Amino acid sequence: MSQLETAGTPVLPHTELYGRVLDFLHREAEMLDTYKFDAWLSLFTDDIDYQMPVRTTRFLTEGDGFEEFGLMSENRASLTTRVRRLETEFAWAEVPPSRTRHFVSNVIVEQEGEELEVRMSFIVTRTRQDLDYQMYTGQRVDRFVPDGDSFKISRRRILADQTVITATNLSVLF
Amino acid sequence: MTATPTAPSTRLRNGEALEEIVRPHEGLISRRIFTDPEVFELELERIFGKGWFFMGHDSEIPEPGDLITRSCGMDPVVLIRDDEGEVHAFLNSCRHRGMRVARVDRDNVSFLKCPYHGWSYKNNGQLLNAACENHYGEGELVKEELGLIPVAQLGSYQGLWFGTWDEHAPPLDEWLGDMRWYMDIIFGRTGGIEIMGPPQIWEVDTAWKFATDNFTDNFHVFSSHHSLVELGMLPNNPDFAAYGHMIVPGNGHILHFVQGEPGNDHYRSLGLSPDLREKFGEFLTPEQKGIADDHGYSAGTMWPNFHWLQLISAGDMEAEEEAFLNLRMETPISPTRTRMWSWLAVDKDATPEYRKRVYETYVRTFGPSGIFDQDDMENWEDCTRANIGPAARRYTLHHKMGLNRATATDWPGPGIAYPDSYGEMTQRSWYEQWLTAMGANGNGARS
Repeated sequence: MSQLETAGTPVLPHTELYGRVLDFLHREAEMLDTYKFDAWLSLFTDDIDYQMPVRTTRFLTEGDGFEEFGLMSENRASLTTRVRRLETEFAWAEVPPSRTRHFVSNVIVEQEGEELEVRMSFIVTRTRQDLDYQMYTGQRVDRFVPDGDSFKISRRRILADQTVITATNLSVLF
Repeated sequence: MTATPTAPSTRLRNGEALEEIVRPHEGLISRRIFTDPEVFELELERIFGKGWFFMGHDSEIPEPGDLITRSCGMDPVVLIRDDEGEVHAFLNSCRHRGMRVARVDRDNVSFLKCPYHGWSYKNNGQLLNAACENHYGEGELVKEELGLIPVAQLGSYQGLWFGTWDEHAPPLDEWLGDMRWYMDIIFGRTGGIEIMGPPQIWEVDTAWKFATDNFTDNFHVFSSHHSLVELGMLPNNPDFAAYGHMIVPGNGHILHFVQGEPGNDHYRSLGLSPDLREKFGEFLTPEQKGIADDHGYSAGTMWPNFHWLQLISAGDMEAEEEAFLNLRMETPISPTRTRMWSWLAVDKDATPEYRKRVYETYVRTFGPSGIFDQDDMENWEDCTRANIGPAARRYTLHHKMGLNRATATDWPGPGIAYPDSYGEMTQRSWYEQWLTAMGANGNGARS
C-alpha cells in the first residue's frame, strides 16, 4: 500500500461514495453521447476551470510533456459558447453531428476535506458521416465538490496521450 | 485556349500538360491536382524538394544548445543553436543508417547521439565519434565528411527561420522579395514577436492545397463560420470582411489587409493594445505605419504553405474582443492527409496580462478545438473526399471572383494591389506560382 501515490484519502470501490462518483461519471458520459449538452453544462460549477494542455514528446527526466499551453482553455462562458454553437444549424464540424462514445475506466477517487479528486482513464471514439472511427485517449483529472446528494465539477484536466492529435479536430467535448 | 508552350512542359501520364488543366488566368483549377497521387509525386520533388519552408522562430531556441524537431518541406529537421549561438538546420537523420538523431520535440544538448550504433555529433553538426572506430581501416571513416546533412540554404527574416533543400534556389531575401515589406508590418511592428508555447499539431484527412487555398480566403467566413454570426460573435453582414485590399507582391506570396466598413473604426491598428500601437512609428516607415493604423485583419501566405493570420475576435460570447497573431503551416503526409501546425505569436513587449487575454482568445477560437477553425477542417475534408473519384477529377473548381478587377492605384505598398478584400486574385497568383514550380508553361526542363 505504501507504494501507491495518494493525494487524499482513498475512497475504495465498495463504498457508497465511490458508487455515487462512478454513477455520476457514467451519466455524464451518457449525456455527451446523447447530445444532452445543456444538462452536461449544469454539471459544472460557475468557476469551472477546464484545461486540455498540449503534450510534447520529452525525455522522462524533463517531465511528462504537458505544457503550459493548451489545446483547450475553458471557463463557464466559453464552455457555454461551445454548447450554444452546437445548437445552431451552422456548426459544420458537428452538423450533422458526430456519434461519440465516452468510456471511463480505472477510476480512482480520493477525498480531500469536502472535495474529491477523481482520476480516470478515458477513451472517446467518434465517427461521423460515413467515416471510420477516430479515437482520443488519455487521463482525466476532475475536482468534485458536493452539491446536495450529488456533485459538481469545479476543475477538469484532460491529459491527452497524443502529441499530434490525429483525429481531424477537437469538436467533441470531453 | 492556352498558348502552346515553346519548351518542354510537364505532362501527366495521360498526356495532359499541367497548364491545360490549371488555368489561373481563366479562374479554372483542375480538381485532379488536389488528390491525384501522380501530381503529388511531382510536388514532392518540385515543390517540397526545392522551395523555401518555415521551420521555427528564434524565440523557440533562445539558448545555445536549444533544439526543436520540425520539418523542412516534408523532411524531418533539427533546428538547433550551437554553442557559439549560430543556428543550423540538419536533416534529422544519422549519416550511418539514417536513424533520427533528435527524438523529442525540444531539448537542450551539447551533443546529439544516435541510439542505433552510437554515432555522436556536436550541436554544430560535426561528427565527433562513430561506433567501434578501431574496427575501421584506413580511409573507411572520414569524419570531416560525415557531419549531419544541413539544409542546402538556411535563412531568417524577422526571426523566422526558413530552409530549402535546393542549393540553386534564390536566396531567401530574394525569394521573399517585396513580401518582406509586409512581413515587417506583421512581425516587426513593435520591434519583434515571440512564439508563445509549443505549436498545436494535428492531422486532417485533406489534400494540403485545400487548406492552403483557404488561408487567403475572406468571403468563406460568413458561411463557414456562420455559427459565430448566430451567436453574435461576427457581424451579421455578409460583406463585413470585404473592406480592404488583396495584394500580390510576387513569387506566389499573397496577402490581404482588411478594415471595417466606412465609419467603423473598430478594425484598426491590427487590433493591438494601445501601448503596442504607440510603437508602430518607431519600427515602421510612414507608409507601413499607415497600413498598420488603418487595418484590423491581415492574412498572408509565404509561398507555398506558411501563413500569418492577424485577427480580432472574442474568445466567447461574453468576452471582450482581442487581437492575436496566428502562424500556420500545412505539411502533406500523403495526397489526402496533411499535418497542421499552429503557433501563437505575441509582441515581445506585450504585458503578462495582455498575453493571457490574447492566449485565451486564440485557444478558444483557433487551432484544432477553435470554434472558428474546427469548421474549416470539415470543409477541407469534404472537399478532398468529393474529389478523389475519376469523374470529379475531370472537372475544374471555380476561382473567378475578381477576374476582371482593376488594380488599385493608391495603395502605398509594393506589389499589385486590388481593392475589395473579397476576391480570388490571390489564390490565382498562388496557382500561377504552383505552375511555375511544377515545371509547367515551358519550365518542364527545370526539374
